[in-house]
Amino acid sequence: MRSQFDYHRPDSVADAVRMKHELGTDALFWAGGTDLVLQWKAEKIKPLHCIDLTAIDGLAYIKSEDSILRIGGLTSLSEIERADRQDPYLRTLADVARLMATQQTRTIATIAGNLCNASPAADLIPPLIAMGAYLRVTGEEGSRELPVEQLMLGPGRTCLHDSEMVTEIYIPRPTQARASSYRRIDRTVVDIALVSAAGAITLDDDGVVGSVVIALGAVAPTVIRSARAEAMLRGAVLSSMSYADLQQVGEAAADDATPINDVRATAGYRTAMVKVLVRRVLEDISRSLTGEPE
Amino acid sequence: MTKLTVNNKTYEISGASARTLASVLRNDLGLMGTKVSCAEGECGSCTVLLDGKPVTSCLVLAGQAQGRQIETIEGIGRAEELHPVQQAFIDEQGFQCGACTPGFIMSAKAFLAENPNPSEDEASIAMSGNICRCGAHPYIVSAVLNAAEKMQKGRES
Repeated sequence: MRSQFDYHRPDSVADAVRMKHELGTDALFWAGGTDLVLQWKAEKIKPLHCIDLTAIDGLAYIKSEDSILRIGGLTSLSEIERADRQDPYLRTLADVARLMATQQTRTIATIAGNLCNASPAADLIPPLIAMGAYLRVTGEEGSRELPVEQLMLGPGRTCLHDSEMVTEIYIPRPTQARASSYRRIDRTVVDIALVSAAGAITLDDDGVVGSVVIALGAVAPTVIRSARAEAMLRGAVLSSMSYADLQQVGEAAADDATPINDVRATAGYRTAMVKVLVRRVLEDISRSLTGEPE
Repeated sequence: MTKLTVNNKTYEISGASARTLASVLRNDLGLMGTKVSCAEGECGSCTVLLDGKPVTSCLVLAGQAQGRQIETIEGIGRAEELHPVQQAFIDEQGFQCGACTPGFIMSAKAFLAENPNPSEDEASIAMSGNICRCGAHPYIVSAVLNAAEKMQKGRES
């Protein structure tokens, strides 16, 4: 049977964290709750307490500053979808948000919720890892920061301690030009990713690839980085790479993927699509770095 | 006590916060216009507006909706004076069985408030969070465009 739970409505992060600490693992932080409600209805989770974060003021914001982009943990996907397209990071994230679920879900679903739900297919995790994003989390012991890359431990599992919640996602901006892209395979606009890839690249002054991150979704228990693809790109001149060169990088990324067969796609299909998606991501980034229109 | 403001009326309901908004609207407030079909946030038939923005009320806890303006199909138009979106759905025959219609109308109303003069593509994408099993989608998109035109004229006159 579906669990019956008590509803709590703290109005500050400190109160929320204290409640969670006191109530323990029978309590769940409820951000938008769009994933939790489904798991609760399907009896996959049986919470005894819901700590609704809706009434906490000041955690829904997008601050685009010169050296850093800050997004409050309770910012809705709908707000991200409508963010300022002049900011290249926000443009990438807005394009990702638009792909996620339905408009009605995006109104309440939050960025921190998408991260903490820790699905290998979570749409926002690969681009945030690629862009070098960090999380600010607050718990009973105080606040700390960690790279988004370290958050996920497995499907539905994160490294957050029991009373910790994500209050902010931030992305430091490098001094060099950086471009990013996210691509996925899906059946329809409201689908979740069957397989996804994101990349972000900065160029050194001589046009050589300086830093590069290639992140893959839905091909392993967590979102992963492709060390093979990144190694091939580091030090390369992206603008002079041919279609065949980019295909090879895609193949290298496919070698790092360890997908499963499930009702949504076969492992073979997912591996084949990694190759295609990584090439497309690199083509997007290349266009964007040379200033060609999208 | 859960305090909800629905269609400009305030209600206090006990034991409602940890239930879905859809359930409270229908079972406690008797607002049966909000239809629950999939109950999984996929089909959009339970769409209501929270502060003017569409949500699937089967995914929202009633507790989360406190302090916000909730608008349901019952809050739109009157039998003798339909909302332009409602009239447009009739004029374009944007439904067959009608079960999805309240959800579509709520989504369309929120969409047209944000984009009063949409293209056909924009209207079609905006309606992608609602599903019509009878297959009236092309007529529904026509209804949204028709409503946009009517509302545009209404503003000019």
